[in-house]
Amino acid sequence: MVPARAENVAVLRRAISGIGESVGMEEAGLGDLQTIITEAAMNVVVHAYDGGDGPLEVTASRSGHSLEIVVRDHGSGFRPRPADPDRGELRLGLPLIAALSDGFQISGGPGRGTEVRVSKRIVGDEEAVEAPAEDLVAGDGTRLSFATDVPVAPVLSRVIGMLASRADLSIDRLADSQLLGDAVSTTGSSEFTDGRVDVEVFDREGCLEIRVGPLVPGAAERLVKGMELPRPLAGSLRALASGISVAEGDGGSERLLIEVEERR
Amino acid sequence: MVSLRGEHDLTTAPVLREKTESAIADGVGLVIDLSEAEFIDSSIIGAVLDARKRAGESGIGFAVALGDGEPPVRRVLEVTGLKQNLPVRESREEAVAQVQAGPEAPPKGEG
Repeated sequence: MVPARAENVAVLRRAISGIGESVGMEEAGLGDLQTIITEAAMNVVVHAYDGGDGPLEVTASRSGHSLEIVVRDHGSGFRPRPADPDRGELRLGLPLIAALSDGFQISGGPGRGTEVRVSKRIVGDEEAVEAPAEDLVAGDGTRLSFATDVPVAPVLSRVIGMLASRADLSIDRLADSQLLGDAVSTTGSSEFTDGRVDVEVFDREGCLEIRVGPLVPGAAERLVKGMELPRPLAGSLRALASGISVAEGDGGSERLLIEVEERR
Repeated sequence: MVSLRGEHDLTTAPVLREKTESAIADGVGLVIDLSEAEFIDSSIIGAVLDARKRAGESGIGFAVALGDGEPPVRRVLEVTGLKQNLPVRESREEAVAQVQAGPEAPPKGEG
């Protein structure tokens, strides 16, 4: 635990690099860890205590074949705030964490502080090659998980924007992806089997895939129905997607798959 | 040319902004040299993007030099999709040439 001050963040970078090395993370991964911890810690420094002092807790532990980093503060929690000129209007911190990790969970709320839990597979771990499939996060996507009182829309929108950009989607398709993301963001946490809003975003060249779930039965259909535009407009946001489908999961749960491909 | 050496994050972003502002005010063209930067974070990226926008508004050339840059810097630019998006050149010389060739064309837009 350190005071939430910008000058302490460089120290955290060294520390996380050392921890990464000790669990066998290779070079590129170590660099990613330094960026992840910087972004998460800077969010606390800038936002948690309104520029004043307060505790910043960081823990890092091995969980299976991944390193799990938790950054916690006891500050004011998530609330809409004016853009900070030094951080730019863009708020790239969380999308950058998403792009460099296997995913993050964000929990907390007004007055309860915020916790960001980042998971990163230890590449360079020889055992990971033979690990059972469940231990490995499929593909190159990122998994986002939001507690009930954390606003999903702004974070999801920016993560989608960054991954769509990485997938080389045109500006139009990037915007379409964000609109679809906004529709997903309206899904209540009670529609998910674990009570948290869970979304995965996968990017590959020319295509972005948004996977929503695990959802309770029927939730996928309700989500798609919710994409219909209000009167007097006609049509549905689903027309923006290249494909929408529902996949069945364990125990009757569902996943909604939304694909956005570049249109020629 | 504004060169970043070593680690740069929120604590050094204001200095970067000052330097890019004065380079833009000089009207000559701006190269942000990251070839000796060991680390950059999103506040630095934000400053770079803002500088690019201001350079465009002022009608002057803009480029980023990556050079033999440390892997974390290159990786951040790749992972954010910015390496394709920004005028990034592999050497200082190429970046300078890019800037001397004039301001960037406006991005291909809608339709």
